[in-house]
Amino acid sequence: MLMIVLRRVPRLLFVVVAVTLLTFILLELTPGDPATLKAGLAGTPEVVEELREELGLNDHLLVRYKDWAVDALQGDFGESVVYEDVSVSSRIRSALPKTLETMILAELMAFAIAIPLAIRSAQKPGGWVDRWSSAGSFGLLALPSFVLGIYMIFIFGVKLDWFPTISSDLPGLFDDPAGNLRGYFLPSLTLALNLLAVYVRLLRTDLIETLQQDYVMLAQARGIGTRRIMWRHVLRPSSLNTLTAAGLNVGGLIGGAFIIEVMFSYQGMGRILIEAVFGNDYFMVAGIVAILSVGYVLVNFVVDILYSVLDPRIRTVDA
Amino acid sequence: MRRIIGTWVAVLLSLALLAAGCGDDGGDSGTTPTDPPDDSSEGADLPEDNTGEGLEGEQLTSAGEGGDSGDLEPQYGGTLKWALNRDGTGFDTTGAVAPGSIRLINAMNDSLVGVTREGEWVPNLAESLTPSDDFLTWTITLRPGVTFHDGEPVDAAAVSANLNAFKAGPVVGFAFKPFVEAVAADELTVEVTMSEPWAAFPFSLQGQPGWMVSPETIGNNDTFVGTGPFMLENWETGTGATVVAYPDYWRDGFPYLDAIEFTFVPEQDVRRLAFEGEDVDGYNSPGDTDILDFLDDDEVDVWIGDAAGNEMAYILNTSVEPFTDVRVRRALAYAVDRQVIVDTFRSGLTIPASGPLAPDSRWYAETDYPGYDPEMAKALIDEVEAETGPISFEISSEAGASFIEVTELVMDFWRDAGVDVSIKDVALGQSAATNISGAYQAFAWIQFSSIDPDGDYTFFHSGSGPLNWSRLQNDKIDEGLDIGRTSDDPEERLRGYTLFQEGLAEDVPIVWIDHFAGIEANVARPYVHGIEEAILPDGQEAFAMVAGSFMGWGDIWIEQ
Repeated sequence: MLMIVLRRVPRLLFVVVAVTLLTFILLELTPGDPATLKAGLAGTPEVVEELREELGLNDHLLVRYKDWAVDALQGDFGESVVYEDVSVSSRIRSALPKTLETMILAELMAFAIAIPLAIRSAQKPGGWVDRWSSAGSFGLLALPSFVLGIYMIFIFGVKLDWFPTISSDLPGLFDDPAGNLRGYFLPSLTLALNLLAVYVRLLRTDLIETLQQDYVMLAQARGIGTRRIMWRHVLRPSSLNTLTAAGLNVGGLIGGAFIIEVMFSYQGMGRILIEAVFGNDYFMVAGIVAILSVGYVLVNFVVDILYSVLDPRIRTVDA
Repeated sequence: MRRIIGTWVAVLLSLALLAAGCGDDGGDSGTTPTDPPDDSSEGADLPEDNTGEGLEGEQLTSAGEGGDSGDLEPQYGGTLKWALNRDGTGFDTTGAVAPGSIRLINAMNDSLVGVTREGEWVPNLAESLTPSDDFLTWTITLRPGVTFHDGEPVDAAAVSANLNAFKAGPVVGFAFKPFVEAVAADELTVEVTMSEPWAAFPFSLQGQPGWMVSPETIGNNDTFVGTGPFMLENWETGTGATVVAYPDYWRDGFPYLDAIEFTFVPEQDVRRLAFEGEDVDGYNSPGDTDILDFLDDDEVDVWIGDAAGNEMAYILNTSVEPFTDVRVRRALAYAVDRQVIVDTFRSGLTIPASGPLAPDSRWYAETDYPGYDPEMAKALIDEVEAETGPISFEISSEAGASFIEVTELVMDFWRDAGVDVSIKDVALGQSAATNISGAYQAFAWIQFSSIDPDGDYTFFHSGSGPLNWSRLQNDKIDEGLDIGRTSDDPEERLRGYTLFQEGLAEDVPIVWIDHFAGIEANVARPYVHGIEEAILPDGQEAFAMVAGSFMGWGDIWIEQ
């Protein structure tokens, strides 16, 4: 296990450096000047030049990147050029928990629905559960998340009034769990619906294939119950593709979360990133992209580790 | 057989969902935060009785009647939940204050001066303002016993500090050009001296220069310690703000509400859903289609401002090519069919503009501003191009829908006239900085909602430096603005502003599009009362809403 971890760490670092450096280069190509933006209406040429020196903008790109990276490792991503005296770190600290909670809840909901549905479908391929879940999956895959979100808000928020239509200013999860979860339910469910469509399809297929393995027939012949066989002996080895999809989907989940945060109007990472892009808030963009890329890589790193947990054969091969 | 039917039902349901999701419901396209208002949308069918002249300047309820709380006694208590279309970027009164911040400040602020619905200035936070005969000195007398939200007294020292700090602001100070200094003559008397006569000085104190904050917080961007009916309890950037009733408010009996919870919801569709889901009691910037929908809805009140609204326009930099040539400027004005824009993007709710003053303004004057004449536009462009070669330029524009949609149509009009035009992106909220730097040829802009024309002096007068948006040097405009500024005779002022408008129409430094008054609106539930009221201390009525912003939050109450 330790060797698996050690072999993957350099790859992780390489990806993070590559993504953040590329972001820096792209920001460099963006029209506009952070110093001019930050100076705002008081931006005389002298003031702007002074700010450029202060922000290190006259240095070479690689020098600036190095300085930024060193500060970033200490948790300092600089200051917003749009909001006065607002650090990028403080905005990320405020926004990240909201996005994380949305994503985690979405994944949990997706798996909570997808696993039983896939199992039922795999147990009776062609049955009504299988057919309806397949059709439903195609429908959900075809619908963009913002369309789903509108329906969710309209039906459950406006017409039924079961959930709030906007999720801004929610209580903390530990302050008021019920209020918090009620507020995040619709955004998370909206994201989960796109995810579960993928998970149901993948898991169903793998389950059906695994169910045809000899050892499963042997287990059945030995009189082990169907439920035990499914949950203990079939589900685990069938989960690898779904797990891979879950890891890769984090990227899509982040993108989906952006849209959801805008629709449900709360300041998660996605929404502040969009505002930062439109407002040419360079350091905010760089900081958020750095955090998101590290997060994405870490999640897939964990997925890699989980492979060997789920399937001992991979542990042996890696060793 | 059952299996086949079941499969097809599932497929058809999925297709129906897909079609519904991708279909156009004719609603708004949604917007991103920009300069106010960000409520331009896809066109909708015009109301049957729409004549293309826009709604009259009235405050309407869904029943088409004005004001429904006349017989009811205001009730105390309750928290109003209000969705705003954008957040602010801070509260520094000596800098450029974002529109989102202004909406919050209006709940926490009393300006020194108010303006009645007849357009006359009256003291508000100040007890009186008295000019010298030559208007070179103004004496401001303050009310005793008034305090800021931190308990500090609103005395002459505090007011002087605020006024002097505004004058010292690196850019906003241009708007205070004649102001020299304010001095505390005694505890409640401020003497203001001018470098030149300024008869219209009190009108400026209705706006940002007249916002008084506790001296220790002058220049503080994170808070607003004012004198208004509400005080800031918290402000979370991008999320919302809560203001609570100020217990020591100097106006007895106000406010009625305990608190107001503002939520920032930039997307128009989401604001509407939040309102329909009863998560908010009202919201601003509803957009043209929402206005039309809610006018037919008995469960919703629509409040459309009847004071000076903003105008959308394209400012031309007359100091750079190709706009040094008045023929090019006139051609661009001739080329644009403003009525098409009003019909397409405003559902006919606004009025085509030919200057900064709307026809219902007491200062409005008819001019010879170029009307839609594409043949004339083309002829002028051909004439100029024969001398100088092809004409091309860039329009600086923010990415918000209220700019881009209209700008793309306007560009088509201009291309039909024979010019080559493209868009130059401006970061959100950076238009003003771009304009001031002068690094533009033309830019899309929304402004000019001053109740009194003197409030727009700075943006047209040649002596205003970088705040003279178009950089135009025009003696007629300057003369007209100076007359309006230095005279307190209404007839003389009207003469001045007529000159001003004529100068603008002749030299065309600006291509006007429309007056926004018809769509600068707020929607609210019928149990929210007092929206139509903004009572001044002497009992006169002020404009309750200016450019879509409420001025009288203290007058609002909720039916319990």
